[in-house]
Amino acid sequence: MAQALRLALERALPQAPSKRPGLPWQWLAALPVMLIFGPLLPGLYWALSPALDATVWQALWLDAQWPQALRSTLISSVLGTLLACGMAALLATLHYPGRLWGSLQRRLPLLLSVPHAAFAVGLFFLIAPSGWLARTIAHFVQWTGPPDWVTVQDPYGLSLALALAIKESWFLLWVLAAVLGEQAVSRQMVMGRSLGYSRTQTWRLILWPQLLPRLRWPVIAVFAYGLSVVDMAIILGPGTPPTLAALIWHWLTDPDPALQARGSAASMILLIVLLTCVLAVRGLLWLMKRHQPYPAGQRKPTASRRWLKLHTPLFLVGYAVVAVLLLWSVAQEWFFPALLPDALSLESWHQADWAPFWTTLWLAMAASLLCLPAVLVWLEWGPKRLNALLYLPLIVPALPLVAGQYATLLHLQLDGTAVALVWSHLLWVLPYMVLTLIGPYRAFDLRLMTSARALGYSPWRACLHVKWPILLRPILATLAVGFAVSVAQYLPTLFAAGGRFVTVTTEAVALSAGGNRRVLAVQALLQIALPMAAFGLAAAAAYWLGRHRKGLR
Amino acid sequence: MKLSTLAAIALTLGVSTWANADWSQTQNEAKGQTVYFNAWGGSEATNAYIAWAAKEAKTRYGIDVRHVKITDTAEVVKRVQTEMAAGRTSDGSVDLMWVNGENFRNLKNGGLLFGPWAQNLPNWGLVDLNKPVRTDFSVPTEGYESPWGTAQLTFIADSAKTPKPPRSAADLLAFSKANPGRVSYPKPTDFHGTTFVKQMLLELTPNRAVLQQPVTPAAFATATQPLWAYLDQLHPSLWRNGKTFPASAAEMHRMLGDGELKMSITFNPNEAANLIASKQLPASAYSFGFTGGTIGNVHFVAIPVNAHAKAGAQVFANFLLSAEAQTRKADITVWGDGTVLDITKLPTASQAQIRKTAPGALAEVVPTLPEPHASWVEALEAEWLKRYGSR
Amino acid sequence: MLNIKNLTISNAEKSLFSDLSLAIDRGAVVALTGVSGSGKSTLLNWMIGDLDPIFSATGELWLRSVRCDTLPIEARHIGLLFQDDLLFPHLSVGQNLAFALPAKIRDAKARRHRVEQTLSSIGLAGFHDRDPATLSGGQRARVSLMRTLLAEPRALLLDEPFSKLDAVLRTQFRAFVFEQIERQNIPTLLVTHDPADVPQGGRVIEISDWQHSHV
Repeated sequence: MAQALRLALERALPQAPSKRPGLPWQWLAALPVMLIFGPLLPGLYWALSPALDATVWQALWLDAQWPQALRSTLISSVLGTLLACGMAALLATLHYPGRLWGSLQRRLPLLLSVPHAAFAVGLFFLIAPSGWLARTIAHFVQWTGPPDWVTVQDPYGLSLALALAIKESWFLLWVLAAVLGEQAVSRQMVMGRSLGYSRTQTWRLILWPQLLPRLRWPVIAVFAYGLSVVDMAIILGPGTPPTLAALIWHWLTDPDPALQARGSAASMILLIVLLTCVLAVRGLLWLMKRHQPYPAGQRKPTASRRWLKLHTPLFLVGYAVVAVLLLWSVAQEWFFPALLPDALSLESWHQADWAPFWTTLWLAMAASLLCLPAVLVWLEWGPKRLNALLYLPLIVPALPLVAGQYATLLHLQLDGTAVALVWSHLLWVLPYMVLTLIGPYRAFDLRLMTSARALGYSPWRACLHVKWPILLRPILATLAVGFAVSVAQYLPTLFAAGGRFVTVTTEAVALSAGGNRRVLAVQALLQIALPMAAFGLAAAAAYWLGRHRKGLR
Repeated sequence: MKLSTLAAIALTLGVSTWANADWSQTQNEAKGQTVYFNAWGGSEATNAYIAWAAKEAKTRYGIDVRHVKITDTAEVVKRVQTEMAAGRTSDGSVDLMWVNGENFRNLKNGGLLFGPWAQNLPNWGLVDLNKPVRTDFSVPTEGYESPWGTAQLTFIADSAKTPKPPRSAADLLAFSKANPGRVSYPKPTDFHGTTFVKQMLLELTPNRAVLQQPVTPAAFATATQPLWAYLDQLHPSLWRNGKTFPASAAEMHRMLGDGELKMSITFNPNEAANLIASKQLPASAYSFGFTGGTIGNVHFVAIPVNAHAKAGAQVFANFLLSAEAQTRKADITVWGDGTVLDITKLPTASQAQIRKTAPGALAEVVPTLPEPHASWVEALEAEWLKRYGSR
Repeated sequence: MLNIKNLTISNAEKSLFSDLSLAIDRGAVVALTGVSGSGKSTLLNWMIGDLDPIFSATGELWLRSVRCDTLPIEARHIGLLFQDDLLFPHLSVGQNLAFALPAKIRDAKARRHRVEQTLSSIGLAGFHDRDPATLSGGQRARVSLMRTLLAEPRALLLDEPFSKLDAVLRTQFRAFVFEQIERQNIPTLLVTHDPADVPQGGRVIEISDWQHSHV
């Protein structure tokens, strides 16, 4: 009987199943990814080569705006990143593991789905001199006019740093939650404490040294984002002069080719700043590791600092932002110092321009649905060692990449078309989708596939019928992430669409320079609603499709 | 004599018939085209009007007009320049653009405009030629752009807080010093900010005639010296000590509504009425001008040389110039932008519609000052940025 | 002496076990057996101080006449050994051991000397600066046990520490562990499936003795 079984298996599998597909199959699997990244390369050359002229650098040096622009960029991104890391680290140290940590984790997806531009708009409504915070104080202090604060658009970029710090701390908390969810980590905590060390000490001596290398890339991504952010900088950053990223954007879109070249040169400065800071921090950490003292065994009892309710203000800001946006969208007259609108009406919603909403919807759906097969094929059959290349758009400032894309599209005469717009979004949607799916994909028990193959399925059919249906919940989550990333894109839409297509993000940023806060609030809320709906739909679909299969949920 | 008169009449009729045949051909060509109209989108009243015009164009002429909202016309100039430089000479992304001043001059000098076409439009006959519709910032239009509306620099204030507004540059300086941190103007290259600077220049410069000529470095230095002296005195008492400026006039309207500023600025004498109606300013807001006059101009629409839908653009421009469209545009409850047509040639009902007023609109007659030559604009902006663009 | 008094652990639906009482003398090894999922690990978690919040527990834990169940993990002086060696990967073998050494040995040189002595005693002389990942499974298990013991715990909990070792290694390491426990003279609770893990003269208790028989 065993003999018969063995013979049957041998017949079913013509040869020993190979672990890695052959080289040509790898390249075929990489084809969609190459279509997304490939055209970028000549574009980068076209966009950045004007900057190789020495006169351009001379002109940049002589321009009066760059020192302060660079200063505000550095302050906002460095301070924002440091604060975000600090807040996330403090919360993790205080509350992991514990009941509060679990509840914090559950509240994060809601806050993460608020896109950056909408968050900046809401924060502006809160902390501006005529904002809700000032009005609350005016209530008690009896001011007649808004105070002479410089809380937004300050010259050093501090309000921008604050916005970045809050938003990115949620992101880093989410990353930390994923890493800390692993069992080995919680056991190390118990082990450290059983040896007599307090929670804080165990964190400092055991957990952080191990986690920091794994947080390296998310923190670099946060820093790169801060360096290159334009939409938040327009809303909250200084105006005279703007941050370097906003300045580069003005230059790149200027009619004068000399200024365009200057913009390209300044983009290279952003890259240099990123590299310098990353190398500096790595050097610092290396030095610290070298000069680490021999473990001295000092056990310090912990003064319980759980009373430090840091998480409350951090999360409260997120809720307050959404609340104030909602209020503005239904407000009629609402002048300083009224705490609540004088009258409410749904007029802004009736009169709202829904065209950007529909554009964003089809664009995000197209981008995420197109990326999904590319991601699946890459993860399944693509070259495994080249994953790092896929993450480049996340850790490199966006401006040079967008400029490269625009140059390519101009050469192909495709700018302003829907195809160009979708293509430009793919460059950022793809890495985020890979990032979300790679964990569950790699953790998939390969023996399930081997069983399927043993039952006679070809690799392709095994994936289609076994692997991908089992991975349904992560795949749906990945789709939602891709959707949210596309909704939040600002620069690619601005450049590639050539003004023909307006998304809720570009509309919100354009309106933020205007006077009508109601219309702005409506667009910002639409910008928040879309990713939230996507996440909710993904979760509901996962639940419904797995309603009879507990193992899938 | 009689024969030549007959011949003249016949020739005129023939020409006009030929012109009519030309226009019908244009109209036929325009059917089904999509016209991308690049126009400033910073005012909801303007956007709503353009949306109405687009709808009318669709029903009457079968043209699909898309309003591409932009913040700065210089962007559109760049787009056309880039496209032409990249060899895209026939399928450009801009079909019709709202333009005037130095942007028009740059386009015209660069050979980037299609035309001449403006004087071939059937509705050209309704235009009031007494208005400066044939020169744009002292640059002759030569039919490369078609007039659309008039504008005049106007200030807005809140009568509850500012019953007596400043009426000249000197007044403004005193007013700003009396109300520190409550006065400002948009940062130049924003056209409201640039126009404010031009307004001050006009009031303070020793010899206004120089401004109508193309700029030279020597003339610039002499003419603008009192301007920079004035601004140096004004800035310390401005909002945020003159270290930073509002990005746009719309932002200033909001700050006026909240009481953060005491004055706002606009090109549309009826803007305040629009804002009161849309609850963005309190009902006590009003418009005012300077006793010596404020800058006024005409704004136009032009067609880039590489436009794809030239016929559709011309038909739409003609519609914008029609009595019905101009009347509706001048209606204060819609937009309130001044008409370029000769009002006496319009029917009485239209005249009444145009003459409507609403609370908040400019109630007094403010003399119009002519714009300086277009070349002065860039020189002024560059110098302003050099002096005040960074701390 | 390690003393559990009247321990009842339950979650929202049912109680895992009720009224468990156990006394372990110094140097004694008590083996706790039971089927998978019966709550052995939960008991260990409660003893070390890391009970999952979904459970609630009543009862007392006494160690050398000091009440422990109200103290945090780091104050209980109870050592723990898991199935996985859990050597800290960012520290070298020697640093792992030095980490556990009490602070009363102050001088870094003295601490290093003590660690190297310990390494020699387990047959790993010269391994001080090695990366734990380069050690074999048996070597790691030995280092892990020494690390727990170097912290001078007053009691020891072993959660199936031999289950990941192969048969030969298992016998060797088991003997080594019991030898060390005897030397340190501390009460030990050993959770295991394998009856061969029980030492000579060691007590065996079944967790089902305190569980209601239902289902």
